[in-house]
Amino acid sequence: MPEVDPLIIEDLTFRYRNRSEPALKHVTLQVPKGELLLVAGASGCGKTTLARCINGLIPRSYKGDLDGMIQVLGQDVSSLPLSHISQMVGTVLQDPERQILGTRVLAEVAFGLENLGWERQRILATAEEALDTMGVLNLRDRETFSLSGGEKQKVALAGVLAMHPQILLLDEPLASLDPASARETLERVRALAEAGMTVLMVEHRVEDVIRYKPDRVMFMSEGEIRYLGPLQGLEKAVNYHEVKLPVKMILPLAAADPPPPPLVSAVEAKPGTAPLVTFQDVAFGYDPEQSVLKGISLTINSGDVIAVLGPNGAGKTTLVKHAIGLLKPKSGQVLIGGKDTQDLSVAEIASNLGYVFQSPSHMLFAPTVQDELEFGPKNLGHPPDEIERDVKRALEIVNLEGMEGDPPLALSFGQQKRVSIAAILAMRSRILVMDEPTAGQDYKNYMQFMHSIMAMPGFEAVLFITHDIDMAVIFANRVLLVAEGRLVADGPPHQVLADQQRLTDCRLVPTTLLQANLENFGRTGAFLRAEALAHAIAPG
Amino acid sequence: MLVTWRYKKRRSIIQYFDPRAWLIFYACFLVCTLLFWDVRFLAFFLAIALLVTFNTGIQWREMKRAWLFIGGFVLFFSFLTFLTGRGGIEFYQTEHIIRQFSAGFSILGWTPKLTISAEKTAYAISMMVRVFSISSMTILIPYSLNPALYGVTFRGLGLPDKIAYGMDLTMRFIPTFGRDFQSTKDAQRARGYELEKLSGGLIAQVRKLVPLLVPVTIHAIASSEDIIDAMDLRAFGIGPRTWLDKLSYQTRDRLLIAGGVAMVVMCMALSLLGVGKFWVPGFLIP
Repeated sequence: MPEVDPLIIEDLTFRYRNRSEPALKHVTLQVPKGELLLVAGASGCGKTTLARCINGLIPRSYKGDLDGMIQVLGQDVSSLPLSHISQMVGTVLQDPERQILGTRVLAEVAFGLENLGWERQRILATAEEALDTMGVLNLRDRETFSLSGGEKQKVALAGVLAMHPQILLLDEPLASLDPASARETLERVRALAEAGMTVLMVEHRVEDVIRYKPDRVMFMSEGEIRYLGPLQGLEKAVNYHEVKLPVKMILPLAAADPPPPPLVSAVEAKPGTAPLVTFQDVAFGYDPEQSVLKGISLTINSGDVIAVLGPNGAGKTTLVKHAIGLLKPKSGQVLIGGKDTQDLSVAEIASNLGYVFQSPSHMLFAPTVQDELEFGPKNLGHPPDEIERDVKRALEIVNLEGMEGDPPLALSFGQQKRVSIAAILAMRSRILVMDEPTAGQDYKNYMQFMHSIMAMPGFEAVLFITHDIDMAVIFANRVLLVAEGRLVADGPPHQVLADQQRLTDCRLVPTTLLQANLENFGRTGAFLRAEALAHAIAPG
Repeated sequence: MLVTWRYKKRRSIIQYFDPRAWLIFYACFLVCTLLFWDVRFLAFFLAIALLVTFNTGIQWREMKRAWLFIGGFVLFFSFLTFLTGRGGIEFYQTEHIIRQFSAGFSILGWTPKLTISAEKTAYAISMMVRVFSISSMTILIPYSLNPALYGVTFRGLGLPDKIAYGMDLTMRFIPTFGRDFQSTKDAQRARGYELEKLSGGLIAQVRKLVPLLVPVTIHAIASSEDIIDAMDLRAFGIGPRTWLDKLSYQTRDRLLIAGGVAMVVMCMALSLLGVGKFWVPGFLIP
């Protein structure tokens, strides 16, 4: 008798209680044992909703109208309690911080097993085995809050694996990971699929997953499946402007299209002017015994578009928080426009330097998007007519026109992130600093707003922290590599990113776009995005 | 993610005992302190509190903020008690006046007066010693109990699994809330918001706090939902759970519990006999 597929979905439609349109429409899917299925699509396409239907959070935690059927290991999940489903379907969320409950690693991994009431010795052995599978047994006795982002993700995954689910759901597990941590996670997941586990990986970073040869790819748009099949057919089914594909797939497609308009950078270089920001031998630690920054010296000059790269926990955010004065150095100096940040308030610095935080949820409070965007400029005392103009322009840049009256807190995470960027853009600071602006954003959206930000007049310098090397390749004219609190390299992207050993040391993995640019640098003389590269290297 | 209080393993009188034994002793200490108003008796409990404080191995810089906050709070309310005599009326009917001050002005015929009496002074001192003793013992707990053992400690005190784990999460919610508040404050300061420049009446000031209060509240609610989902997704609450960590009482723990219980019994007996009621030192009476 043929084996029943572990996951069968038939004609699934779901509409959230507070939405008028369904988030999923007539989804039908069967996933066999041991398959690694990549689920891709833009923000709001329904991928996370699908994952919530499979793991039972819909309709138990997220209410709405659910039609259709989901069968897990031959059982209809609608009749099963969540606790039962969770023993068959393991879920790893996008942000491990939202999933980790234990104070220590071992307790975190053992949590599910404790709930199942297993005997203590069996729990201990199984938890250690799961940690070993993820290659993090050495973290066994660490406190969870002291782990780096990559370590947290692996521990969260170990906690789920310990319960031996037959189906593993991964909801954008790479979003907050440095490239090396993402690669290590993907290697482990591939191995789990090889060992017979059915894996559904919801991920924006399609290029990264493709390296680990998913058995099939599912592309979703507006709640529907647009493509479901082998990897080879994906480029024909999706728009390469919407999904980040490997350069090898994009080049022939882009060469056949008209050349893209040149990348416009309005970031103004003013030769002969003093540095905008200066770090002089800056050292800092949250605790006296632990240094986070060690002897950082650098200047930010007009015309700089800087990408700050480095592993999780390297000190990148701590570094930029010094530039806005939220943190003051324990030794050394940070100067903004020649003035020491020790003598300036954050509000005074904010008029010169706009800082977009990593998480939008810490700043959004206003009843409407319009009010949210007006808050900063009003605090800085901008005139009303300027505020109106700047808010409008900021909304255009992040593609949120028409949503002025919407409450920011009711928007999706991706939209909230764009509101948080627009809120800082509306302040019209001279320097723009962004902490992981593309995290949780789909490719099309972040490429669009990054292009618009670069084209926005008025900035004298832009600095962004990112784990996405391609962002540095496409947009930056300078790269800072930070590792273990030190500035490891500082220079133009084609120099800094050409040193393979240094990238490996900083837990960075070259992308296909970086490799293609390095190979063709002699011909192009510049780093280009894939569409432009296709035309620059085309014969004739 | 929930963060924890700054716990460290150290040479500490509290960490010498099983956390359950210490919490039982702490509860006994609270009951005993609350039974007395006589400052001579309260001085005994203050001495215990100070003895424990100076033997926890916690550095001043670690606890400075907590002490300054609680200490300021205790001093402020004790001073308020001293000025108004509020709360002490039920303990004394007559007052022996030490000094009386009158303002050199009148408001609508009423002249503000400050009367310092022996009873008011003794009451304010008793109140201060009492609250300070309790606060001292309470402040030490988050610095001394291992956060990894919160849940199993409460379970070991007889609470059901769900409530014990809920207590564990609650203990960790407080420092997490502090961290989120700081993150929100930073994010809004980066938008030119200055908490120091709040002005206007009470309602206007509360309205100006909205940029801080809304994100912190929404974040707390969203985090709570995440925690519930994360627990549900790992079968929490399906039946009796095993606690991986195991606590076991030693002889010293049993002695501590016995000492605490004996102290409660003795204090209750004294209290029933009328000992330890409000007392005014003779030297204060003119």
